[in-house]
Amino acid sequence: MKQESTIVIDPVTRIEGHSKITLHLNEDGRVEDARFHVTQFRGFEKLCEGRPFYEMPSLMARICGICPVSHLIASAKACDSLLAVRIPPTADKLRRVFGLAQVTQSHALSLFHLSSPDLLLGMDADPTKSNIFGVAEANKELALDGIRLRQFGQKIIERLGGKRIHPAWVVPGGVSEPLTEANRDAILEALPEALAIAERTLEWFKSIMERFREEISTFGNFPTMFMGIVKKDNGLTFYGGKLRIVDASGHVVADDLDPTNYDDYIGEKVEPWSYLKSTYYKPKGFPDGVYRVGPLARLNVADRCGTPRADQELAEFHELQRTAVLSSFHYHHARLIEILYCIERLESLLNDPEILSKHVRAVARPNALEGVGACEAPRGTLFHHYKIDEQGLIRWVNLIIATGHNNLAMNRSVLQVAKHFVHGRRLTPGMLNRVEAVIRCYDPCLSCSTHAVGQMRLQVQLIGPEGEVLDEVARA
Amino acid sequence: MPRVLIVAYGNPLRCDDGIAWRAADALAPKVSASEVEILRLHQLTPELADTVRIFHAVIFVDAASCDRSQNKPGMIRLEEIRGGTSEPARFSHVLSPKKVLDLALQLYGASPSAFVITVAGKNFGHGDSLSAPVASALPELVARIEHLIKQSNP
Repeated sequence: MKQESTIVIDPVTRIEGHSKITLHLNEDGRVEDARFHVTQFRGFEKLCEGRPFYEMPSLMARICGICPVSHLIASAKACDSLLAVRIPPTADKLRRVFGLAQVTQSHALSLFHLSSPDLLLGMDADPTKSNIFGVAEANKELALDGIRLRQFGQKIIERLGGKRIHPAWVVPGGVSEPLTEANRDAILEALPEALAIAERTLEWFKSIMERFREEISTFGNFPTMFMGIVKKDNGLTFYGGKLRIVDASGHVVADDLDPTNYDDYIGEKVEPWSYLKSTYYKPKGFPDGVYRVGPLARLNVADRCGTPRADQELAEFHELQRTAVLSSFHYHHARLIEILYCIERLESLLNDPEILSKHVRAVARPNALEGVGACEAPRGTLFHHYKIDEQGLIRWVNLIIATGHNNLAMNRSVLQVAKHFVHGRRLTPGMLNRVEAVIRCYDPCLSCSTHAVGQMRLQVQLIGPEGEVLDEVARA
Repeated sequence: MPRVLIVAYGNPLRCDDGIAWRAADALAPKVSASEVEILRLHQLTPELADTVRIFHAVIFVDAASCDRSQNKPGMIRLEEIRGGTSEPARFSHVLSPKKVLDLALQLYGASPSAFVITVAGKNFGHGDSLSAPVASALPELVARIEHLIKQSNP
């Protein structure tokens, strides 16, 4: 007798945070539906209520150990709005330096430590080898480059913020300390090595893309909109600007959107099977308003990077597809171009004489009871929205994290990959890894978008209509 | 150039998990910065391989759970470890001390002498205070690390 089944991948490995995937099979053993469940819970919006607003950047930095700087920046920008101040130009530039350093180290973590095992060793590699040790064995230089590039970004964060994780240097009104000449020079000295790593990794990635033709055509390769913050001239930025949305054909759907009015065009939907909300573009409704954010989206919405090498690579990137670049596999490619951009921008910002100015903070009392801060985090657009009372105490918080924007697309991507690669009632590690690998393309940070509890364990089950386990694969 | 690296890791906001950071705080004024470098970390990442490779000796300081090792709270354990001997890696971005040494050996050919010294914790809940048995173990932990430093840095 034919029967329906469910496959459960719990948890998904080599991502930031905890999640599981369920694949629903029809009577013929073919995948009919798939869901990406985020199984951890966050409570940051509630636990901040009652705290003084000026504590928010430091509290928000605790959301994540990978991208605390993005939360610091978005939070401080929301607090700038509460103060109703314009921060000093040097503080603006220093925050940008901080953000670029973080994007570099976060992208390096995603590409080198989490995804390079798939890219170098292949999707069907022995799971016990699919890690940095397997990479080091197969390509020592690649492993060394990953370590050096991540260190490069972390050391900049440490030089500016005093520590690599959860620095509290970005404050309402600017930053707490100016940049010293010695630290500026030390960062500049490290740039050539970082640039060389970015260049050769990009070349390496382009050289292996041909091997992944099947994955490129099935890893989240479908039409959606793309959203990102761009500069006034529609150039790439991580710090601030206007929101732009393009459709799958690359045409602009919405432009010049003020990020502070995000609630007018972004809706949030709660699903009973995940702690991660799904966002959607309100004018198109749920779920037709699906869009993607992050590196792929940023390169689809921006007309240019604004730095020479990254612009060359962007032009080549756009040649991948006449429309917007649709396959989520290309998140990796986009990530590498962004690393190149970050290093070039760092050089430009640090060579600006104004970067050493001592005027780095505007001081004021609260002048508004509501403020929104937005920036581009490594994984996409990040919103922090606060309401305070007359005493400056937080009364209400809403956070929209990049991974939430991608939730609908990640779910569709899992379904597409599973439909293509998962067949019948027997599971193979390669099938399973591809279902996880498409999630890794998005580099979701579930610790950010929810809050981490529990321990990692991978379990895949085929469950029959009566609840019986037909097959099971587990990774301890 | 310091010869000895102390890697104190754990979460100081999870009570006894912060014992290593407490030990680092207590050690800092007792050792010469020219001989001993102290790192306070939340977890061990691959980048640490690049750091440990230049030291003669590395001492990892951590909290241990009672249930897994059948320790009693406050019990101190010392183990000498070396690279190239441990089990396959489970994660790519969070490592054990042995895996840090494996990576240092694999990537750089570096093989510093290394020790893991742990204190069994009792309370890993939210907070920045140590439980009584772990707080009582702190002076002995610091003394044993000092002894290891002397051994490693004659």
